Amino acid sequence: MVKKLLASFLTASLLLGVCGCGAASAEDSGNTSQGGTDSVQTTVSNADPSEPVTLRMAWWGSQTRHDITVAAIELYEQQNPNVTIEYEFYDFESYFTKLKTLVASDQVWDIFQLGGNFPEYIDKIYYMNEFIDNGTIDVSDIPEAYLKITQDTEGNQIGLSNGLNTYGIAYDVDMFKEAGVPLPTDNWTWDDYKDAALKISKATGHFGSSGLASSEFIAGCSTYIGQQGNVGQYSFFNLDLTGMGFSDAQMLTPYIQMRADLINAGASPDAGAEMEITNIENDFLVTGEAAMTWVAVNQFPTIYDICAGEGRTLALATIPRVKADGPAGSVIQSSQMLCVSQDSQYKAEAAKFIAWFQTSVECNQILKGERGIPVADSVRAALESNLTEGQQIMYDYVTLVGTFATPDKVNVLSPNGQDEVVDNYRNYIQQVVSGEITAAEAAEKTYEDAEALFK
Amino acid sequence: MQTEVVKSRVKKIMNSNEMVGYVFAFPFIFGFICFSLIPILTSLRYAFTDFSLGSKTMEFVGGANFKQLLTDEVFLKSLRITLKYVFISVPLKLVFALLVAYLLTRKTRLQVLYRSLYYVPSLVGGSIAVALVWKQLFARKGLLNSIMGEMGLDPINWFGDQKLALYPLVLMSVWQFGSSMIIFAAGLKEISPTYYEAARIDGANMVQSFVNITLPCLSPIILYNLVMQTIQAFMAFTQAFVITAGGPDNGTMMYALYVYNQAFKYNHMGYACAMSWFMLIVMCLITLVIFKTSKSWVFTESGD
Repeated sequence: MVKKLLASFLTASLLLGVCGCGAASAEDSGNTSQGGTDSVQTTVSNADPSEPVTLRMAWWGSQTRHDITVAAIELYEQQNPNVTIEYEFYDFESYFTKLKTLVASDQVWDIFQLGGNFPEYIDKIYYMNEFIDNGTIDVSDIPEAYLKITQDTEGNQIGLSNGLNTYGIAYDVDMFKEAGVPLPTDNWTWDDYKDAALKISKATGHFGSSGLASSEFIAGCSTYIGQQGNVGQYSFFNLDLTGMGFSDAQMLTPYIQMRADLINAGASPDAGAEMEITNIENDFLVTGEAAMTWVAVNQFPTIYDICAGEGRTLALATIPRVKADGPAGSVIQSSQMLCVSQDSQYKAEAAKFIAWFQTSVECNQILKGERGIPVADSVRAALESNLTEGQQIMYDYVTLVGTFATPDKVNVLSPNGQDEVVDNYRNYIQQVVSGEITAAEAAEKTYEDAEALFK
Repeated sequence: MQTEVVKSRVKKIMNSNEMVGYVFAFPFIFGFICFSLIPILTSLRYAFTDFSLGSKTMEFVGGANFKQLLTDEVFLKSLRITLKYVFISVPLKLVFALLVAYLLTRKTRLQVLYRSLYYVPSLVGGSIAVALVWKQLFARKGLLNSIMGEMGLDPINWFGDQKLALYPLVLMSVWQFGSSMIIFAAGLKEISPTYYEAARIDGANMVQSFVNITLPCLSPIILYNLVMQTIQAFMAFTQAFVITAGGPDNGTMMYALYVYNQAFKYNHMGYACAMSWFMLIVMCLITLVIFKTSKSWVFTESGD
């Protein structure tokens, strides 16, 4: 099952590279022919438009996301008086805890948000093809390539993407200058990164690099593997998600050693300080106690605005590389998607809401690309004409990452059970910090844990 | 005729003394069966399967879950941490509760007020809000470290150091001494004042009368509190979940938190059930030990 799903996510990234983000107009020509726009098509809706419908919806995210999503929901309810949407929102971890209990009791929300970990919940997802084919929803505004990022190889539409996304490092420009550290270049290396973090922490007394632990594993550790060898030679998990994508555990060692060194030098938060970061909005970069942090770039405009309000300037740097002329390891992917649940009573209504959420310009004027760069052409065009500074930086950055050489196939999905591997990995780093084990042993243990997922 | 008989029978049943009891106990019995007994029994079955919340199928795996416990580093560590937590927090809490209860037996007009005040932490203690306050108190730039900074001391990184992180949690549990205190206070009231009078006449001082009268007379209540608090301490969850999430390096990975992680975060419900049952056995053993030893230190006035 997983294998099937995967391949599509692979091809998707390929297409993305071709599309770029700013180049939306290039897509239109290829796209208009296949859309489901025929106005003749009658709407096969199984619900009487006046019949009251109650949809349950849930998502995870930060306070900003909660506020704007609720505003968007209220707009939809206003436009569709028969629809009532009961919403719930959580932080990332609680969201999945709740979802797992709902899966067990067959009561998954009608509309729910999923990311790269969706294979675990595939049995609960109702494919949206039916609604696209019979014209219940109109997705002609979304380029084929962006529809594909949330399809499996058989063309099943798993959901509609909330936006395009990639990882980066947000940094405080003035702190770099204050410490006399050169600003990151597009192909800076991990050595540059470590140097910068150490120097800044020495000069300013703040952390050189902080970071939400949940981002670090994917943005740092797993990218580090993809950056070694030739483009596409290695990946953390293999492409069909059935095993490891590299065989020498020691490939992880330098990275783990670097993380431990930074923590030991006080240039990165230790376990206690890390606990104080609960979401991106109180990350040490945002509170002015760190010079860099990991971000999924859709988080950038929010923290940019917060810091700008305090007179500080943030910028986005690429994920450092192993070698300046080596692979970047970064890929553009779907940030998350909205899916229709198998348990839903009103699947068509749920699909309609999702399509509206992704393609309505009015709705996205409220959402402002907070979940990533919108996939619908008209929405992207409308937002692009009216970008804030932070959003402009994000758009430029995604375009830049789109120009990097990427492998033919990449795997952005998480295997079932990855959480435990990540938690253990973080503990191993702490054990390296306290000198209980060496970085080489930590690498070995992390590799064993990850490998055990496939047994 | 027949209906008459039935009616009178129903009447008889409804009016019987037992019926009243059953009616009043019904909500509890219903809740106990549906929300405790049935889940407990199902969990016993799950403990021998690879059941997980996300998937709909499960396979019988025999004792594999229990075997896995023996090699699980995090599990062994959490067991150690939890035992340490119980052995430190329970005695401290009881001593503190007894001390406050003893002080509050002195007749003052404000006695009721004091007693209520000291009970408040127990009412709010299990809540998320207090745990968050605790997290802030002991944070790197929290109140405690600010005070220490004012006094010219180095700040302590409570939650960054594996050896220290457990103590704020212990302190939080000790702070919630209210319910044991109330029980101690009630027990102290039951001790006949004539004993103290007699002791005073014989020239015993405060300490002597406390050791020789208060403690023995209170020992059944100490036993009760000891057992209850031990069981409660084994189940500690909120503090670790909210304040430290088990870190640093699993230094505060309480047993209950690890069960929760395995069940809901890592998706190994079967394994988590096995852990719960193992915990039940450990708790039974410890309670048994307490009861066995109690014969030598619990004093009953009616007995020998």
